[in-house]
Amino acid sequence: MDTFLFLIVPYLCLAVFVVGHYWRWTYDKFGWTTRSSQLYENRLLRWGSPLFHFGLLGVIGGHVVGLVVPKGWTEAIGVSEGIYHFLAVSLGGLAGVATVVGLVILVYRRRTVGPVFMATTKMDKLMYVFLAAVILLGMWNTVASSVFGHYDYREGVSVWFRGIFTFRPDPALMSEAPLGFQLHALVAFALFALWPFTRLVHVFSAPLGYITRPYIVYRSRDEDREGTRAPKRGWEKASR
Amino acid sequence: MSTTERPTERQGSGTAGLDGPLSEALVGTRRFFTRAEVSEDKRSLYAKGGRSGDSFYRDRWSHDKVVRSTHGVNCTGSCSWKVYVKDGIITWEAQQTDYPSTGADRPEYEPRGCPRGAAFSWYTYSPTRIRYPYVRGVLLEMYREAKQRLGDPVLAWADIVNDPVKAKRYKSARGKGGLVRASWGEAAEIVAAANVHTIKQWGPDRVAGFSPIPAMSMVSHASGARFTSLIGGSMLSFYDWYADLPVASPQIWGDQTDVPESGDWWDAGYLMMWGSNVPVTRTPDAHWMAEARYRGQKVVVVAPDYADNVKFADEWLPAAPGTDGALAMAMGHVVLKEFFVDQQVEYFEEYTRKYTDLPFLVALEPYAAKDGSAAYRAGKFLTASDLGGTEATAENAEFKTVLVDSRTGQLVVPNGTLGDRFGDSGAGKWNLDLGDVVPALSLLETRDDTAVVDLPRFDLAEGGDPVLRRSVPVRRVGDRMVTTVFDLLLAQYGVEREGLPGPWPAGYDDVDGLYTPAWQEPITAVPAEKVARIAREFAQNAVDTKGRSMIIVGAGTNHWYHSDTIYRCMLLLTTITGCQGVNGGGWAHYVGQEKARPITGWAQMAFALDWVRPPRQMIQTAYWYMHTDQYRYDHYTADTMAASTGTGLFAGMSTADQLALSTRLGWMPSYPTFDRNPLDLADEAEAAGRPIGEYVVEQLRSGDLRFAVEDPDAPENWPRVLMMWRANLLGSSAKGNEYFLKHLLGTDSSVSATETAEAARPKDVVWRDEAPEGKLDLLCVLDFRMTSSTIFSDVVLPAATWYEKHDINTTDMHPFIHSFNPAINPPWQTKTDWDIFQAIAEAFAPLGAKHLGVRKDVVAAPLLHDTAEAMATPHGRVLDWRKGECEPVPGKTMPKLIVVERDYGAVFDQMGALGPLMEKLGTTQKGITYNVEREVDYLRHKNGAIRGGAADGRPSLKRDVHVAETIMALSGTTNGHLATQGFKTLEKRTGQLMHDLAAEHEGKQITFADTQAAPVPVITSPEWSGSETGGRRYSPFTINVERLKPWHTLTGRQHFYLDHDWMQELGEGLPVYRPPLNMTEIFGEPAIGTQSELGVSVRYLTPHNKWSIHSEYQDNLFMLSLSRGGQAIWISDKDAAKVGIKDNDWVEAVNRNGVVNARAIVSHRMPEGTVYMHHAQDRLIDVPLTEKTGRRGGIHNSLTRILVKPSHIIGGYAQLSFAFNYLGPTGNQRDEVTVIRRRSQEVQY
Repeated sequence: MDTFLFLIVPYLCLAVFVVGHYWRWTYDKFGWTTRSSQLYENRLLRWGSPLFHFGLLGVIGGHVVGLVVPKGWTEAIGVSEGIYHFLAVSLGGLAGVATVVGLVILVYRRRTVGPVFMATTKMDKLMYVFLAAVILLGMWNTVASSVFGHYDYREGVSVWFRGIFTFRPDPALMSEAPLGFQLHALVAFALFALWPFTRLVHVFSAPLGYITRPYIVYRSRDEDREGTRAPKRGWEKASR
Repeated sequence: MSTTERPTERQGSGTAGLDGPLSEALVGTRRFFTRAEVSEDKRSLYAKGGRSGDSFYRDRWSHDKVVRSTHGVNCTGSCSWKVYVKDGIITWEAQQTDYPSTGADRPEYEPRGCPRGAAFSWYTYSPTRIRYPYVRGVLLEMYREAKQRLGDPVLAWADIVNDPVKAKRYKSARGKGGLVRASWGEAAEIVAAANVHTIKQWGPDRVAGFSPIPAMSMVSHASGARFTSLIGGSMLSFYDWYADLPVASPQIWGDQTDVPESGDWWDAGYLMMWGSNVPVTRTPDAHWMAEARYRGQKVVVVAPDYADNVKFADEWLPAAPGTDGALAMAMGHVVLKEFFVDQQVEYFEEYTRKYTDLPFLVALEPYAAKDGSAAYRAGKFLTASDLGGTEATAENAEFKTVLVDSRTGQLVVPNGTLGDRFGDSGAGKWNLDLGDVVPALSLLETRDDTAVVDLPRFDLAEGGDPVLRRSVPVRRVGDRMVTTVFDLLLAQYGVEREGLPGPWPAGYDDVDGLYTPAWQEPITAVPAEKVARIAREFAQNAVDTKGRSMIIVGAGTNHWYHSDTIYRCMLLLTTITGCQGVNGGGWAHYVGQEKARPITGWAQMAFALDWVRPPRQMIQTAYWYMHTDQYRYDHYTADTMAASTGTGLFAGMSTADQLALSTRLGWMPSYPTFDRNPLDLADEAEAAGRPIGEYVVEQLRSGDLRFAVEDPDAPENWPRVLMMWRANLLGSSAKGNEYFLKHLLGTDSSVSATETAEAARPKDVVWRDEAPEGKLDLLCVLDFRMTSSTIFSDVVLPAATWYEKHDINTTDMHPFIHSFNPAINPPWQTKTDWDIFQAIAEAFAPLGAKHLGVRKDVVAAPLLHDTAEAMATPHGRVLDWRKGECEPVPGKTMPKLIVVERDYGAVFDQMGALGPLMEKLGTTQKGITYNVEREVDYLRHKNGAIRGGAADGRPSLKRDVHVAETIMALSGTTNGHLATQGFKTLEKRTGQLMHDLAAEHEGKQITFADTQAAPVPVITSPEWSGSETGGRRYSPFTINVERLKPWHTLTGRQHFYLDHDWMQELGEGLPVYRPPLNMTEIFGEPAIGTQSELGVSVRYLTPHNKWSIHSEYQDNLFMLSLSRGGQAIWISDKDAAKVGIKDNDWVEAVNRNGVVNARAIVSHRMPEGTVYMHHAQDRLIDVPLTEKTGRRGGIHNSLTRILVKPSHIIGGYAQLSFAFNYLGPTGNQRDEVTVIRRRSQEVQY
């Protein structure tokens, strides 16, 4: 059972994640969108969206530190367990609260503002369930692990997680983790599987380049063709 | 001077910076991370390649071809469009930009188009598209069974309709679904059989055809009209039926409607928009109004609501709905006082002397006043026949009106009166040349005496003396006292002059003094000061610019019962100020106006005048008033409308009686005419060996033969077949829609009105206790989309859209003719209108040959305008032969009776070829006959000649393009030869030079290929009253003013005074204010403003829609998305608050005529006490079941009904004579009220 849940499922989900994005990019390039509803409502969105998104950036950063960076590395630079824990709970908690508050505002908005609700697809609703579940479970783990007894995920979950990418996964590490962590990890992988089929794809097209882009962009003609498409076979220019 | 510190503007650096230090820092980093070149100033990036993403939008806008077309029922925009086709599919459309230039110093017409037009291509592949012929299922089953049994289509049809059970079975199923697909052959056969059977059993005039506004697709209109006319059916009028016909136009000018093109708004110095919402209803033209403001034009808007055009205005006069007459009377008072009495303006005096009836003499007429005293009222025009001596015995002396020459004081009969228009003695004299005569406007200085004249007033709701007594200067002529129209006008408007006893108003602020600015204030709610000021400005601008003050009028003021008086009050302002016939001046009437510029050619095609004359042309309002039995629900008699100065002429008459009178006197057409088949009547007369006139008169006298209008509910007098194309009667124009459903169609309706009480019932019209239901045997509709009409039809035929056929299009808003062209062939089983009626004719011909053969047909035709028949009623004195007041003489005191021959087996051949009457009789338009032998020969080569059959050797009309070529070859506006010929003919009558107007284009023939290349300007032609010579902007009556050509009226001038008996009885001899009808008094509807548990009572108006027009309808997905997306009623916040209506609530509006359910749009734009339900919102989109009846809610016209005004059905007298769409009762609908309430928000469908 553990093998299935913590070995097969993660790889399946990641496979769907990767292949799904390829598929989406190939066949639904013009459906690759945030499905923004800013046009329909602005007042709630102005608060909800930054809270959620910036909170989430913090949460993701925390996960990177917590999951990807081995415990030994942080200790090597002199970050003690106590300091690490304090930083993780305080900063992580702050980001988590911002994310949750933002999420509540956004969901409330999505449900109560008529035009926004009308622009909500079934896939959106499904995605919201998983997204909310992941976030809430994560918050629970943060709270529970500091209030009800200690579980050092950096000894368990993180090692397992890194193992997935180094192809040495150890499902046993997960079976020892508390239920909250198990569920959080499973729901998160389910969300990865849903990812390519939802608006979450916009994560990969966030227009970061705009920040540093010069105002006017000129693009020259491609040197090998005169139009925007390569000439069909037999219609190439005679001089070439 | 303070020296403001401003940041130093990058001195020295020479390069433009970025937005700020942060941007500078961020954008500045890019050059380190890209291989592309970044400019020195960091603002630009030069990438190599990377354009492959462009192919996406290049593909999006790529296309295979662009085809010119337009939208074609009565969108007056007449914009030319580019229709894009990609891979055989119509993809989108865009505005054409190739209109010929208007000249160097003014804006251009291009581009033209609005969002409605840009949305049209949706229809081609829309879910509402009709793709195949459909027949009502129960009918089709019965037909197939009967045909199987009887072996003949006509017998099968007779078998069904003559069996009451079978007939009821399919008639009562109308509107309830159940249309099934049929083949083209079968559908056409059923239509043909129904026509043949009806002609055989009941008569050809029991068949009717309806299609409106030919100008916007002349060939399509002509298709069914030609078929209907060939078989002897009645074509129903539309302009009057739509209430778009301003009856004031024939009354004042003897002209249907002739208005400036929108480019002429640019020429106006002062522009009033009065009841016409130009940006909404004339969207592509509105730019002229906006642009003219930059030239210094002042714009004033009169509208009850904060309409879209108000935001263009310098001033807004928010007059209460229907009170425009009061506002205009007060303005007239100011202009007359300040510009005619306090001072004399040379320009105005000269203009009114020469071009109006103001100087003409009117006799005062003793009459028995209501208070029992002997008094005088304004009587008849003095004519040459009243003068004695040689003048009195001259030809047509009774139609030569008289004025006083101010130089000599002598009575003069000037040139140009109706008496000069016909007959030999008038040749060369029908003109406005006064020679040395200077007509006297007033008799004040040279009066023999003064006399008190009774003037009616209508503004008193209750109590008060409805008669005004004011005096005028008079002169004695024999035993008569006469005065001028001008003197009468000043008395009417309450303008005091010294020496004339009053009572007169004390000043502009006299609230009780008719018709002062202060008097109008409580009526219209417009401040008196503002009214006086605007009137003064309007007139002063006319003085300063020599007549460049303009009033744009439209549906807001025209759709009222009393619209003719409202318009006369307004048009007095443009006429006494010398603005008519001047570029940039005068009236501009824009509602449903139709200007088929090549009108002569179109008329030949549409009414088959090349094969048989005359056609049957019917006034549609009267047709439905009788045939949908709305006359049975009148609760007032005709004398309700009579004035306090009347003599009881209408006593005891109902409106139906008046229509019967109008019919038997030959004033207005009436079809079906007799209670007998006119084919049989012709046979009987022939068998009796008597001329038809004698025979019919004898039969009528003996009572053996009766007019059908006198017993409209007798089965032999019902309309039996109605064919409709380019039209949507039951979703749009059917005032009294529910009465149509009940009596005409025999299906469910929501009428709850009670029938007329016995005392008020007609006297000359038979009252049957049981009102028939389901009179019509066949309703056949051609359309490309499912409408409120198709769902009630028995046969639905799939038509091509505007992007799938050839046709031609004109409007009066611009001077060009341009074409429709098929972007794709008609898809599925659709066909063009021309092909559909060819197919019906083809199915008809063999059945016609078998069952009908060659028959004689008695056509009863009314006395026509622009013919000598307009002189049938001297002095407008009504004599009824039925009462023995005169002899019944066809063509004089009763309708003309003309026997024509119809070859029913040859109908198909005749449809498809130009007939021989062209060379034999020529063509006639507005009194001018053209010789078209040359044109017929041209067409024989252009179109090819028919080989064999009844039309052997005739020019072909087989294809729509042939018809378009023929229309353009037979009209002066598109054929310079004919324009010149027409002017030369006119010169013989007027003695004035005219043909030079067309000389510049004499050799020009506009062909269909020309109209395909680009819109083509038309040629100045006697078919219209304005000159476009030398590329001039069109303004009506410029030929009249500049070439001294008389108007087609009694005096030959523009008329302020009308002396017909009925006009006197109505108290409308002169412009006068008549308030909206009091529906509480007449029909017992709750008074406006009253509240009950049923809701609040409000005035119910149906203005034109922002999100649809009659070529581009409300059901279009794009338009539904832009608007509320279904039927909606606009209501003011105040009224909504009274009954708890919130925005977007479902509301139910109920009155005696029907029920409407809609969403409420609550807006402070609306005035309190008035709701708007936009015109033509079909009952197919989001219409729930009503709470009142449990049946589906109706359309906007479910709450209205027909009300016929007597002044509209006068005929046989000068300009008050019938011509098709020129004069007839209007289907007005503005006076209606309704109770509106919030309904349960739980709606069911």
